[in-house]
Amino acid sequence: MTRKDLLDIESLRQEEIEHLLDQAAPFKELFTRSVKKVPALKGKSVLTLFYEPSTRTLSSFEVAAKRLSADVTTFDVPHSSVVKGESVRDTIATLQAMRTDYIIVRNQMAGIPLAIARETRASVINAGDGAHAHPTQALLDGFTFREVFPDSAGKKLLIVGDILHSRVARSTSILMRKLGVEVAWLGPGSLVPKFGPSDIKRFTNYDEAMRWSPDAIYLLRIQMERQSAPFFPSLREYTKLYGLTQDRFKRIADEGTYIMHPGPVNRGVELCDEVMDYERCLIDQQVENGIAARMAVLYWLKPNTGEGEAAGDKDTN
Amino acid sequence: MASLLIKNARIASEDTEELASADVLVEKGVITRIGKDIDSGSSGDVVDAADKILSPAMFDTHVHMREPGQEAKETIKTGTEAAINGGVTGVVLMPNTSPAIDSAAMVRTIQDIAQKDARIPVYTSGCITKGREGKELAGIEGMLDAGVKMLTDDGDAVPDMLLLKRAMEYAGEFDCFFASHCEILELSGPRALNEGRVSYRLGIQGTPACSEEICMDRDIRLAHATGARLHIQHVSSKMGMETIRWWKEMGAKLTAEVSPHHLLFNEEDIGNYDTNYKMNPPLRTAEDNAALLQGLKDGVFDIIATDHAPHTPFEKAQDFVNAPNGITGLETAVVSLYHHFISKGEFDWNLLVKRYSAEPRRMMGLDPVPVAEGCRAEFFLFDPNGETAFTTDFMRSKSRNTPFLNQTLNGSIDLVVRGDDILLQR
Repeated sequence: MTRKDLLDIESLRQEEIEHLLDQAAPFKELFTRSVKKVPALKGKSVLTLFYEPSTRTLSSFEVAAKRLSADVTTFDVPHSSVVKGESVRDTIATLQAMRTDYIIVRNQMAGIPLAIARETRASVINAGDGAHAHPTQALLDGFTFREVFPDSAGKKLLIVGDILHSRVARSTSILMRKLGVEVAWLGPGSLVPKFGPSDIKRFTNYDEAMRWSPDAIYLLRIQMERQSAPFFPSLREYTKLYGLTQDRFKRIADEGTYIMHPGPVNRGVELCDEVMDYERCLIDQQVENGIAARMAVLYWLKPNTGEGEAAGDKDTN
Repeated sequence: MASLLIKNARIASEDTEELASADVLVEKGVITRIGKDIDSGSSGDVVDAADKILSPAMFDTHVHMREPGQEAKETIKTGTEAAINGGVTGVVLMPNTSPAIDSAAMVRTIQDIAQKDARIPVYTSGCITKGREGKELAGIEGMLDAGVKMLTDDGDAVPDMLLLKRAMEYAGEFDCFFASHCEILELSGPRALNEGRVSYRLGIQGTPACSEEICMDRDIRLAHATGARLHIQHVSSKMGMETIRWWKEMGAKLTAEVSPHHLLFNEEDIGNYDTNYKMNPPLRTAEDNAALLQGLKDGVFDIIATDHAPHTPFEKAQDFVNAPNGITGLETAVVSLYHHFISKGEFDWNLLVKRYSAEPRRMMGLDPVPVAEGCRAEFFLFDPNGETAFTTDFMRSKSRNTPFLNQTLNGSIDLVVRGDDILLQR
């Protein structure tokens, strides 16, 4: 049970997801020790290739790779708004010559990590491509959800916000469904697509969504800066309709519902300040689990860079 | 060629489903006799068709040959050779070259290149607006004087409705017609694929079918109001087809085309970002496939046209959004329509002859080319028991951007004749 690349959640089998989540747990245990490093990827090289600005995901991958003793290089690429496919392909040729073992790529265009994976012997990890997929975010979300609900099947997760443009919503929804979690979306009709998977519930009304009794609410970051035709009139109106305001938060806290968020949060828009201090707010836990989940992914993938010989310490069942 | 005798052919025509068995004698490029047991004597060539189908050659009113300006994709020479390879002996070029075909001078340039490089007649359409920019009217009278019959900004709609109305008022009474690529740009987004299940799964903003349908209705209403003749290009959706059906019932002066790829493929074929299924208008759903096929059978669509749109492998290897729209079609149309529809009994040869040979010629003001005594020889011999492997070696187009690449389909075109010329013999 091994793969060269991690490009999306859709193509992973349920047992592969379970395996990765199981693998993340022992890595997380390491974090409480004084020495947090294991030699699993000693001598291997990891290259990060981020065409979109990122601090959280990029750092998380760097920390994960370093805790596995890999050598990490950041490949400096322009963070312009549109990086055309052809220039990415030129970069791939360069990377191939560097004989790096793992490439972690983020790009504005959906499908770029797949295109890179097809042309390189290195393992490619998709760290977010356009609105398509963000598989390691989904894995850390699944890991976090299972820490809270070890028997996750049948539990309910409500994802709130800009579903349409969110690669997090896509990947996390698919992963949760594969774990047997019931998933629903809530947001304005312009941001909650009607043509999503048929096994995901769709709400545009906050109270109706709450009557569905979610066990956890996953808030997405809301932005106004997209395109010329706005998807909703104002942030104020969004907050009024869908934001976790103080009143709504009180009721959620009474029910004991968990809160998740991929970060960074917009305080006062999708959630109020109080949420950040809520004991069932899992946001910090998600960040910590991100490192463990990414270590599990790096440890699991098997690059084709070894010229035929088995990749020594990478026993993958 | 002194004479050509084709023995034991089964003759396809637009008028009947029957494939009449006969021998066909061609002398000096004209079909002089059709009948049983013709003996040409000893002088001419004899081909034993052995029950293969003798069909009028096809005519494609929607092709991009990229010359001038984008000769890495295709030229008039390679494009017309691709046409011959697919049993097509006449084409109408779209004007979105670089520079665009928007003046008499550009039309004559195309005609000069075709005169030198093409073995089949090449007609060109002309732009409605200068440079296809949608701002000022192109040199319409000059282009018509040079032989243009079809005015189109294909690749784009004319976004300014008033300008389009003026163009129709101005040119509507000349001997020409308008052809519309229908698309409301504001609704189209990045013009990559249909809005629906697949666009959601792949994380790319889709183009809804209503983008095409609204523009179609808009253009038909303008044509109806001004009296101009209008042709709707590459209809991709069920509601688009029904829009045309309704307007025809209302008596609008309207023709419409459907392309093989919109009949054969849908959005699910895109799989994981396969750009050989990327074109504009995009592939839609299986329901649309079925409706378009019904529209073709019902005569809602007057013609089949491929929208042959070559692009280089490098361009098509880009990410899905940046890769250009379009696939080639001239070499695959007849065989793929035979394989997927005729051989399965969906429709008969007479429909293909009517919609891809006779009606397209009539639309351009040309005579059809039936296999009949006294007519110019312009036909191909099709072996239903043969097969065609669409390999790089087979294809004459410069480009390879077709979903059929490396597929083998039933049926093969073994001989293509136009007048005195044997254009192809396998």
